[in-house]
Amino acid sequence: MTSTSSPSRKALSKIACNRLQKELVEWQVSPPAGFKHKVTDNLQRWVVEVVGAPGTLYASETYQLQVDFPEHYPMEAPQVIFLHPAPLHPHIYSNGHICLDILYDSWSPAMTVSSVCISILSMLSSSTVKQRPADNDRYVKNCRNGRSPKETRWWFHDDKV
Amino acid sequence: MRSEDDTHDANDLDYIDDDFVDNESDDEDGYYDFLDNDESDDRQQQNYIILSEADIQHHQEEDINRVSTILSLPRAAACSLLRHYNWIVSRVTDEWFADEENTRRVVGLLEKKPIEMPNSPELTCGICFEDYPRDRMNSTACGHPFCSVCWRAYIGTSIRDGPGWALSLRCPDPSCGVAVGQDMVNLLATDEDKEKYSRYLLRSYVEDNKKIKWCPGRGCDYAVEFVLGSGSYDVCCNCSYGFCWNCTEEAHRPVDCSTVAKWMLKNSSESANMNWISANSKPCPKCERPIEKDHGCMHMTCTPPCKFEFCWLCLGAWSDHGESTGGFYACNRYEAAKQEGTYDESENRREMAKKSLERYTHYYERWATNESSRQKALVDLHSMQTEKLEKLSDIQSLPALQLKFTTEAWLQIVECRRVLKWTYAYGFYLPEHERAKRQFFEYLQGEAESGLELLHQCAEKELQVYLDEESPSKHFDDFLTKLANLTSVTRNYFENLVRALETGLKDVEAIDQQATCSRASSSKTMDGKGRGSGPSDSMDDTNHWLCDLCTYANLKSSNICQMCQQRRS
Repeated sequence: MTSTSSPSRKALSKIACNRLQKELVEWQVSPPAGFKHKVTDNLQRWVVEVVGAPGTLYASETYQLQVDFPEHYPMEAPQVIFLHPAPLHPHIYSNGHICLDILYDSWSPAMTVSSVCISILSMLSSSTVKQRPADNDRYVKNCRNGRSPKETRWWFHDDKV
Repeated sequence: MRSEDDTHDANDLDYIDDDFVDNESDDEDGYYDFLDNDESDDRQQQNYIILSEADIQHHQEEDINRVSTILSLPRAAACSLLRHYNWIVSRVTDEWFADEENTRRVVGLLEKKPIEMPNSPELTCGICFEDYPRDRMNSTACGHPFCSVCWRAYIGTSIRDGPGWALSLRCPDPSCGVAVGQDMVNLLATDEDKEKYSRYLLRSYVEDNKKIKWCPGRGCDYAVEFVLGSGSYDVCCNCSYGFCWNCTEEAHRPVDCSTVAKWMLKNSSESANMNWISANSKPCPKCERPIEKDHGCMHMTCTPPCKFEFCWLCLGAWSDHGESTGGFYACNRYEAAKQEGTYDESENRREMAKKSLERYTHYYERWATNESSRQKALVDLHSMQTEKLEKLSDIQSLPALQLKFTTEAWLQIVECRRVLKWTYAYGFYLPEHERAKRQFFEYLQGEAESGLELLHQCAEKELQVYLDEESPSKHFDDFLTKLANLTSVTRNYFENLVRALETGLKDVEAIDQQATCSRASSSKTMDGKGRGSGPSDSMDDTNHWLCDLCTYANLKSSNICQMCQQRRS
C-alpha cells in the first residue's frame, strides 16, 4: 500500500487505537527478541530500542527506532525511521530513513510493529559491510525540507542485504 | 497488390511539379480526375476499429469467457489471469499449458486450501485481531480469515491507491499472495468501490492492451483498436477527432512521430524562453539578474537594490567609461574587440541564440496560424452543414444532395490546413545544409499555400454571392463545377505533397549532391573573400551543429549544447 499522508498529524482512528492497544499488550507479553519498547503515554509514536544481534557486524550496538502511526493504521503503513545516530548500513540513510519494501509498497495490514522490527533486525544482521547507501548524500539533501520517507518513491535495491 | 511506392514513385514529383492550379485549363479534366481517383480510397482503407464503452465491455466479456471455458476456471480467476498477461488470450493459454503450477503461483491462484483453520466456533481476524464467529469471517481460496470490516477497508484502500493496486490485490497475509478478484470485491466492498473496481477493470482492458488506445479527444469515451503493421497511423474517431494512433498526438502526416514529439517539446519547454532571455537580455554584471534592454542608450542601471551602473556593450562599470573608451556614449571596448574578432564568447552566443530564436519564431508563427485557420474552417464547416446548406438549397432550388461539393470543399480545407501546419514543423527540422531539398520544399509549400488560398476563397467569398441572391442563378452550376475542381486538384496536390514529404523528398537527394559539388568547386571564385568570417558566416554549418532540443547553433568543438546542456546527438 502506498500512502502520502503524513503520520502523526491526524489523531488515530478508533480502529487504529484498538489495534495498537492489542499490539502493545501482545508486545508486553512476548516482546520480539532484541527489542525494548520505551514506554510513553503516546500511543501514536513508539520509540523502540534495538540491540544488534550477537555474531553480526552490529553485535551489542544499540539503536533507536521511531515508529509513527497514521490515522488509518494498519491500512496504511507506519513510518519507521532510525533516530540519530542511524546504523551504518547499505540500506539505511544517514537521516535514519530505511529502504525496506514492507515499510512502503509491500506493507500489508496483517503486519505488526513486531513483525516490522524483526524484518529490520534481519536486514541489519545480514549486512556484510558497514557503509551508507551509494546515493546517501543526494537523498539526504533532498529530504532536508522534512520530507517523510513515505513520500519517497523507493526503488528497492536488492533483497540480499 | 501494388505497393504504395510503385504508384507514386516515378510520377510523384512531376505530379507536384505540374502547375498547381492553372485557371486556363480549369475544365472537366480535374473533375473526372477526382471521380477516378481510386488511389486515395486504396490508402484510406480502414485499418482500425472504433469501440464504444459497450463494445469494450463486450470484447472483454468474450475474452474472459473464452479463458474461463478453455481452462475451466471461475470467471474471477480468468479475469486475474487475463489482466496479468495484458488481456492477450493466447498468452494466457500458452503460459498456462506450458507451466500451470508456475502460472498459478505468479497470478495467485491456488488449487487447494493451504491452511487449515482451527475448529473453534470463533476465529481471530488477522488485521484487527478481534475474535468473530466463523460466519462473519471471509477469506480467499487460501483460507486466511479476516473480518468483513477489515476486508472492506483493505479493498477500499487499494481502490483509493489506484487501478495498479486494486486489480492486482492479494490476500493481506504477508506470506500468502493469493489473488483477491472481482468476486471478493463484489462480496465485500462498498457499492461505490464495486463500481470503481469495475471501471478500473474496463480501463485496464484498454490501457493494458497493446492494440487498443483511448481516443485523446476532449470528453471522448471511445477507444480505437488498431491493426498493427498496416500503414498510416492516422485514425479518425467517431467524435470526429483525428489523431495519430502511435503517439496519440493529433493527426500529423506528413511529419513523423519523433519530429512531432521534438516540436511539441520545443513549443512547451523553457528552452525557447531561455533562448529569448539570452538573446535579449544580459545578466547584471554585479547581481546577475537578467536585464532586458529594448532600446535606448548603453548606460544601464540595474533595478534597486543593486543599482549597479554599467555599459550594455562591454558590461564594464560605467564609471570606467570616459574619454579613454572613446567617450561616454561610444564604448569602443566592444567595437575594438569585435574588430579583432576576439569579442566575448557570450556575446557570440547571444548573437546565435537570437538567430535561432528568430528562425524558430518564423516556423512557430506559421504553424500556429494554420492551426487557428483550421479551427476557423471547422466552425465554417459546421455552419455550412447546419444552416447554409439548407438556405443554399432553397435559393438555388437544388436538392441538398447536389450541394455536397460545398461540404466536401470545407472538409478539404480543414484537412489542408492541418497538413500545411505540420509542414512548418517539417521545415523547421529540415537540415540547413540540404539546400536543394530546402528550396524544393519551400517551393512545394508555397504552391500548396497559394492553391489552398484559392480554394478557401472560392468556398468562402464566392459562395457567399450565391447565398445572398434571391433567386436561382444560372451561373451557379458553373460555380459548383469550379468548386469541385478546385477541391479535387487541391486534394491531389496535398496527397502528393504528403507522400513526397513522408519519403523525405528523396528524389531531390541526387540533385542536391550534384548541386553541392558544383557549388563547392565554384565557391573559390564566387566567394573570393577568403577568411572574411563575420558573424553571419559563423552560422555556417561546417563550424556548427544545431542542438536537437533548442536548435542553438553550437561550435563543432563542444559536444554539449551551451544553451540547454543537451548532448549532441
